[in-house]
Amino acid sequence: MNRAESKRQFWLREAIIISAFTVVVFAMPLWLTWIGGYEALATKIIIFAIFTLGFDILLGFTGYLSFGHAAFFGTSAYVTGLVFVHWTNEILVALGASLVVTIVLALVLGFLTLRRTGIYFAVLTLAFAQMLYAAALSIFQDWTGGDNGLTMSAQPHLLNIRMDGLNVFYLTAVVVVIGYIVARQIRRSPFGLMLRSIKENQTRLQYTGVNVMAYKMMAFLISGIYAGIAGWLMVVYEPYVATEFLHWSLSGDVVIMSVIGGVNTLLGPMIGAAFMMYFENVVQAFIGELWLLILGAIFVLIVIFLPGGFVDGWRRIRKALGYIVPSRRHNVPDSPESMRKRREHSERGSAAGWE
Amino acid sequence: MNQNTRQYLLDVQGVSKRFSGVQALSNVDLQVPEGSVHAIIGPNGAGKSTLLNVLIGSIEADEGKVLFDGRDLRGVRPYDIIQRGIARVFQTPQIFPALNLLENVAIARLAKRDGKFAMRVWERLGPGNEVTDEAAEILSQVSLGDLVYESAQNLSRGDKRRLELAICLAAHPKLLLLDEPTAGMSRHDTNRTVELLQRIAEQGMTKIVIEHDMHVVFSLAEQVTVMAQGQVIASGPPSEVKGDPKVIEAYLGGGPKE
Amino acid sequence: MSANDIFLQLVTGLQLGAIYALIALGLTLIFGTLGVVNFAHGALYVIAIYAATVIGDHFGFAVTVVLVPLVLFVVGIIMERGLIQYFYDRPDTDQILVTFGLALVVQEGAKAIFGANNIPYPVPDWGKGQMLFYGSGTTIPNVPHFQGMPHIWVPFIDGMLFYPSWRIILIAVSLLAIGGLFALLQFTRFGLVVRAGMRDSEMLRFLGVNITARFAIVFGLGALIAGVAGVFGAPITQVTPEVGMNLLVPSFLVVVIGGMGSLAGALLAAVLLGLALSFTAEYSSVQQIIIYLVAVVVLLVRPRGLLGKKGVFE
Repeated sequence: MNRAESKRQFWLREAIIISAFTVVVFAMPLWLTWIGGYEALATKIIIFAIFTLGFDILLGFTGYLSFGHAAFFGTSAYVTGLVFVHWTNEILVALGASLVVTIVLALVLGFLTLRRTGIYFAVLTLAFAQMLYAAALSIFQDWTGGDNGLTMSAQPHLLNIRMDGLNVFYLTAVVVVIGYIVARQIRRSPFGLMLRSIKENQTRLQYTGVNVMAYKMMAFLISGIYAGIAGWLMVVYEPYVATEFLHWSLSGDVVIMSVIGGVNTLLGPMIGAAFMMYFENVVQAFIGELWLLILGAIFVLIVIFLPGGFVDGWRRIRKALGYIVPSRRHNVPDSPESMRKRREHSERGSAAGWE
Repeated sequence: MNQNTRQYLLDVQGVSKRFSGVQALSNVDLQVPEGSVHAIIGPNGAGKSTLLNVLIGSIEADEGKVLFDGRDLRGVRPYDIIQRGIARVFQTPQIFPALNLLENVAIARLAKRDGKFAMRVWERLGPGNEVTDEAAEILSQVSLGDLVYESAQNLSRGDKRRLELAICLAAHPKLLLLDEPTAGMSRHDTNRTVELLQRIAEQGMTKIVIEHDMHVVFSLAEQVTVMAQGQVIASGPPSEVKGDPKVIEAYLGGGPKE
Repeated sequence: MSANDIFLQLVTGLQLGAIYALIALGLTLIFGTLGVVNFAHGALYVIAIYAATVIGDHFGFAVTVVLVPLVLFVVGIIMERGLIQYFYDRPDTDQILVTFGLALVVQEGAKAIFGANNIPYPVPDWGKGQMLFYGSGTTIPNVPHFQGMPHIWVPFIDGMLFYPSWRIILIAVSLLAIGGLFALLQFTRFGLVVRAGMRDSEMLRFLGVNITARFAIVFGLGALIAGVAGVFGAPITQVTPEVGMNLLVPSFLVVVIGGMGSLAGALLAAVLLGLALSFTAEYSSVQQIIIYLVAVVVLLVRPRGLLGKKGVFE
């Protein structure tokens, strides 16, 4: 197949995937009600989908496990809330303020934590995020409302449009589609390849002339920005900032969502977010307080037996049913030649993972 | 010939390094002209790997100078040193396991093309991209052309070493450091590796090779430096060094692999 | 600040630091030998406090003191053999994930069985009440109320001071447990192997020492210490499901400040933290974040921690 043809095939495939994704997202208030959900849940799911999408760029690509991303979500939420309370109802202003604060926070936290190995990094991110939580409850409580959270009687606006009900949903839907397109492009770019190689072998990367720390910082920053945008949307959706937005349990939730869905797949963590939110809000009606226990057990089982998450599970099912599953985890898609070879070598069980 | 009046591509002068009580390197001198192949041999613990670590920037020497291409390497970060044109092939192959071979080599090409850090987000790596084409080319040079889409972790040990070599070559380094490239290999594989290295040598790349295998040293090296206990005890063409009594004495405990 | 004030704050500091010390020691012991960051260590404390409550309610405190640490020891061994050992070959972050998941399951499980609220802990009678500290030249009034309390003479204080008995008992028990741990590591063959393993486990394997069998015991030991912490810390931290994770974060920081893998460091950092918390009690908003501030400062100035080994994580 010649260059022009394969290029066309590529763009066609991209268009189909993005379109399908867009349809699923925009129709969510509809199909969610078919399975027992409700309209407002769709907005919350998408907010967390945005959060986990960015988180996958850090965890899935570089392998760095952060237990402190609530710091970005919560801080951005508080900044947004404070803008609404003290300044203006215009959400774009709040977005600007949130982004500035998020970026500064990400640079500082990243500098303090990314020099260490993965284990130390996880502990440090947890600790610093908890510091922000403690600070919000203590020294900053005049600003944050302390234990009670930040309440406001604001009606957020996007330019002239009231942001309530379905309007907010459409806003979040647009954001997540854009976020997904951007994330996909990052993945297939040279920058994305560098990030993914960090997880594989940092030493080799160093000694190939790459400033690994700089790439780590960018990944951390990008994931922080996604989290910050999610935090901003959360307050636009519901003008109230709870202290839980900064708590480590939120950071933990994002980790659980990402792992259950399947890291390093972009789609997986978003699926995980939908799954967990559905569990919390719908399934809880049936099994009550036990929902988190069950979810936790599912999480543990997945870490032990199916570390690739739901996405990997789906892939294995298809493989078992006899489909040839292309290994799209590589940036470089398979040529027909290599697909043939893969059929021949199918018992070797090479590269796992599916985009 | 370039404008610097330097004679040597690599000029190591009086380098010493101490590690909590152990003198790992002691006043080491090493001069390597451009385009030559230089072997470093010596019993275990002689400081050969330590010296490579100093050259590559992962350790800093306590004393002495390391001049590469006329510029001092003291205090320069490893990634900058590699960007200046040194590459290191590790003893145990260092590759990117879950990525395929094309990606493995593409990373090195990208590091060369874009420098130590670049936000190349708008480019697409895939068919038709010049970087992937170049990577495929390099992989066929090391006889891995058939396996380009294979996951690096699935390669045999020998193929992993060749992949690592491909990664290093992809950066078109001026100086290639090889740390026991034939360690643990069968006679057959050793010969193939020597052939491959000779082929690369013909292209004029400067190489420093740490080796235990005398056959390899003789086939490849124009100059040999012998180290023992952190010091240089002999240096010269292989034929000269072989008969040097100090060298024989240093090896009495171990004995080189013939 | 009078001598009395200093004394009281000192004692409070030791008491605050005691629980952190026990948890942090277990954490750093496990990390130093096995290289595992046990996010489930707080869950071990949770198991301990609930077990102690149940056993104490039915069988009394004497049985609790003996049984709970033993139970935790067994739990630790089961955890290591049944789960953790399969993660030695997997990427480091996977062990964090699985222990975190386990902690969540334990927390929610406790909530499901016992409810989310605090349940009362059966403190033995001799542990209730207060202790009397008296200084030189003080006579204790001959009143049954005073005479009934344990008296402890402390030279430099003035007059009489009262302090809740249980907290003193906690300090004493912690010192015993820590002393026991250090003695075990210093003076036994097992301890020697563990200490060597903490410095260089690969070397030990190379020498043919079967370190993996000992891993289980080390994990059990770490759990046992958490068990002791639970039995004596429960009245202070309260018996709720969340207390495990609430203790874990500061304990991690204690380990990090002291130097990951350094037992003496963890102990030192715990004591320092306890004292810092105690002496800043008046400035309550600072007190909340004091540990994080200390952590940031220590990490910036000395990344390996107070007593950590160089290059462990840099």
